[in-house]
Order: sequence, then C-alpha cells, then structure tokens
Amino acid sequence: MTPNVTTPRSRRARTACHAAACLALLLGMPGGARIAGAQTGDVRIDISSGAGKRIPLLVESLQTGGDATARPTSVIADTVLANDLACAGVFDVSRAWTDTPPAELQAVVGGKWTVNGNQVRLEGEVHDLPARRSIFSHEYKGTLRDQRRLVHQFADDVVLQFTGEPGISQTRIAFSAPEGRNKELYVMDWDGQNLQALTRDRSIALSPAFSPEGSLLLFTSYRAGTGPQIYVIPSAGGKPFLISGRTGINTSASYSPSGREIACTLSLEGNPEIYVLDARGGSPQRITSSRAIDTSPAWSPTGREIAFTSDRGGGFQVYVMDREGGNVRRLTYEVGNTDSPAWSPKGDRIAFVSRTGAGFDINVCRADGSGVRRVASGDSNENPKWSPDGRHLVFASNRGGSFGLWVSDLDDHPPRKLDTGGRVALSPAWSPRPGASGTSSN
Amino acid sequence: MKNLMLRRVLLSGVLVLSVLAVGCAKKSVKAPPTPPPAPPQEHATPPTPPKSDTGTETPTPPPTNVSTDFQPAFFDLDSYSLREDARTALDADAKLLRDKTDAKLTIEGHCDERGTDEYNQALGEKRAQAAKEYLVNAGIDGGRIQVVSYGKERPFDTGHDESAWAKNRRAHLVSR
Repeated sequence: MTPNVTTPRSRRARTACHAAACLALLLGMPGGARIAGAQTGDVRIDISSGAGKRIPLLVESLQTGGDATARPTSVIADTVLANDLACAGVFDVSRAWTDTPPAELQAVVGGKWTVNGNQVRLEGEVHDLPARRSIFSHEYKGTLRDQRRLVHQFADDVVLQFTGEPGISQTRIAFSAPEGRNKELYVMDWDGQNLQALTRDRSIALSPAFSPEGSLLLFTSYRAGTGPQIYVIPSAGGKPFLISGRTGINTSASYSPSGREIACTLSLEGNPEIYVLDARGGSPQRITSSRAIDTSPAWSPTGREIAFTSDRGGGFQVYVMDREGGNVRRLTYEVGNTDSPAWSPKGDRIAFVSRTGAGFDINVCRADGSGVRRVASGDSNENPKWSPDGRHLVFASNRGGSFGLWVSDLDDHPPRKLDTGGRVALSPAWSPRPGASGTSSN
Repeated sequence: MKNLMLRRVLLSGVLVLSVLAVGCAKKSVKAPPTPPPAPPQEHATPPTPPKSDTGTETPTPPPTNVSTDFQPAFFDLDSYSLREDARTALDADAKLLRDKTDAKLTIEGHCDERGTDEYNQALGEKRAQAAKEYLVNAGIDGGRIQVVSYGKERPFDTGHDESAWAKNRRAHLVSR
C-alpha cells in the first residue's frame, strides 16, 4: 500500500464513468473494462468493488475528560470504533492498545471522549500521515445511551473521508431464527448488538426484506395457518399487518426502490408467478407467465428491472426481465442450478447462489451475467444480501456447524461470522443506512 | 446411466412406500395426529400452525400430520411430475375419497431441505397442485381439496441424506 492510494480512492468516488473504469483497470480489478453491463441501461459505476488493497490505519485510544465514567466508557468506544473500521472493508486496522502498527501507515484515527453526567462528547480526528496534517475532525454529542451510535457516526465519517461514501456501521440486520419447528424474525445492529425479537407468533416467519428507508420489513409467515402469506412489520418492532393472503402461496416479497411497489410470488391463478403489488398489497399485476416456477424477484436499484429464478429452462436458473415483464433474458449458465438473485445497490453486479453437491456457493457476476466470481464456498452458503454500500454481502452458512450469518467483503479476506446471540440464523436482510430514502422514480 | 439412476430412484421410492406402510401403525401410536390446519380466517389472528409438543430439544419432531388414511405421493428432486408410484398412491386415495363422499382434505406440498426457502415454497405448491389435479381428473370434486405449500419447513424425516430427502419430497394428504 502506497500513500497515494488514498487519492485515487477518493477521486474514484467522484469521477465520471470512464475515469473510474480506467482506474479500475490500472488497479487490476477484473471488472474494470466491462463495468458496463451497459446495454441494460441500469448501471451506476461501482466505486467500491473491494478488489483493491486496504488502507493501513492506526486506531488510537481516545483520550478522556470529564467524569470518572469517561475512562471505562471510552474503552468501549475504542473497541467499537476499531471494529467498525476493521469491518468496513476499506482499512487494515491496527489497534494502538494491542497491535504493533506496520511501518507504512496511511492514517491515524483518534480523538477525545468527554463525559459530563449523562452527556457524552466525542471529538473525532483523522490524521493523514503522508500529508502530515489533520484531514478530518468533528464533534459528536449525545447521551450515554447513544454512545455506540456516536462512535458509529464517527466511523462512517472516517469511511466517507477515504472512499467518498459513508460507512454502514449504523445499519441493522434482520434474520429468521429456528425455534423448535418454528421460525421467528429477529433484528440487530450489524455488529450483533441490540438483538431484538420481532415476531413471537410460534409460526414460520421467513424471507425478511427492508423497505427502502428501513422502517418496515416485509416477510413471509404461516401465522394464519392457511399457508404462506406476506406481512409487513415495523423494523423497530410492532404488530404485523397482512399484505397479501391470496389463495395459494404468497412469498418472496420485496419493496421496489421507491417503496411504492412490492414484487412477490403468488399462485392465485394456479401457477407460482411473479406479481407486482402496490405498497399496501393491492392491485396485483402479473408480470411472468410460464408454466414453470417463477420466484425470488429482486429489483434493480432503479426499479426498472427485476432478476428472478425460474425453472422454465429445465433446472432453476436466474433470469432478468423489465419491470413490466418483457425482455426476459437468462442471466446465469452455471452447471448447478442457481437461485436467490440480489442486485447490488449500484446496479453493476448481481449476487446469486449456485447449487453444489452439499449445498450452495455464492457467486457475483456483472449485471449482464459476465464475469462470474465465486465469493463463498464450502458447506452451504445461502441468501446473499448486499450492504447498502455494495462492499459486503451477508449470507447464511452452515460452515462450522449450524447455520449462522457471515459477511464477505468481496475481496481475499475470509468471511467473518456475525454475532447472533448464539442463535441459529437464516435468511438475512441488510437495512439501508438511517436517513435513506427511496431512490428512483418508479 | 440416466435410466439406471431413474430406476434406482423409483426403486427407493417403492422401498420408502413399503417402509412407510409397515411403519404406519407404530408411528401413529408414537406421534398422535396434530390438529389439522385451522380453517381460513381473517388476517392477524392468533397463530395456528401446529405447535411442537416435544419442545425445542428434540431433533426429530413428528411430521405435520400423520394420516393413516391417505397415501402420500413422492417426487424426484426439483420435480413436480407425478411418478408411477405417486399415481398408484393417488389412485388409492381417489378410491378412498369416492367411498367417503363427505371427506374433505388438505394436500400439503413438501420439499427436501436443499434449495432456497422461496424456491421450495413454489415447488411445494406445484407438487400439491399436481396431486390435486390428478385427483380431480380421477373424478374428485376440486372443492373438497385445499392446497398448502410448506416448502421445506415441515420435513417428514429430519435427516440430511437421500433417504430422508426422498421421504420429504411429497404431497401429503390430510383429512380436514
């Protein structure tokens, strides 16, 4: 890692398409030349494909001031900050309190942590070593109850400094956890904190999917006892409401990027087909029609296209179609069957699973199906979902025994396991950042 | 090669069937039938799927419903076409239904644990519908038959090998 890497990174965040593509090529990123998939007309350039190197960064212990509680709480803040930055997929983090930093450090992150009564002030600071100057400083204020959030905000700002895009340490992850024969939904901070039960139905709850601003979760439930139905529940907890309980299956629901529509699988006309509903679950429009199974719809970030799974060609594979159902083309040509498409937030890539003897691998390809790259293999790896910055995939895997949630940074670093409070965990969903809103016009 | 495999699958299906037939009486003693699914109701009502009475520690929960009346139809991996043995089973079921003209039933579609939740829910639906269509073609009034897909959520056998999977790929007929 050389000091000047910072410059291209932040510049890449801002430059036009061809410049980014050129840089990607220069950096040896395999996707560089063809970032396109351009004929789909639904692509933004990915500035964060994570194939590059990481920035060596030193996290120092925060200095303390104010009450005596500052010292013990600052230790937590140090740990949270270092963990946020280490998991950002951008930095090689050294912790000043345990690690020996490498010779060629790029930057030092630290600051001061002051507690007065219930009030906390974090003065965050980033020092660039080659430039020999402070490149960022900001004050974060809150109460002791918010202390983790203050640190997360600082960490996200540090990521913003170096990549042009804020980090994702204030996001949450929802998942489905088996309990006996049933499955209930849980939600937690992305770092495993604040685990919270969402459903207590003693039924089967599956396939959670956040609304574009994060306040709601769509999911599939058998709670009415009449087969799978689609419900919505506040992601902070609350009462579920029925979205679609039509005859047959009601599954696999997700909001369009604008939040105004829901794609899902219904079999109300006999065969499992993909439908688009309005946000309340009304006015169903059927957008597939084959005698085969069509399911697992995944919106492109502009809302103009939908990837889905179908067995119309024999084994099940991933296809892409326009929002209205036209222009269907097959995306994957794996030997094993493929399923669970997930469109990256910037539109340039699609993650999917491919079946192996023992389970599934996770792959990522460009939006036109080219450049397939395996991201996770061994045992079974299922239900990939993108982080809102497109740098990470969360997925369920039974590597190491029972199913848990794992995160890949899409580079050569091994996936890391998320703390789910010791629970078996399946079917993850990654929330948007706080303050996110619907992005497009559909 | 393909033929050989097909034959093996068919053979194992037949074996499974005969094992099930032999095992039926004993099974119903061990695992009393759980209540049938609740009738269709309005939304947001209390949950009704059968509750496990064995707690969370038991790795082998009883199947959703143990019915000694109807024979299940078994399927090949990823398939919702009725095999010869499945047709034979459904012929017997149709006969039963013709004799008991007031009997109503739910056909549960089930899958093995491979595949995603979403795909298996669709696959279970197709299997249950294939069984229903066969019964309707055999003269049974479709109004007597309700279809529910359980995907891979209610395995008959919680094992992780082909013998377990073969039992789990089924359309399961339950009186209601």
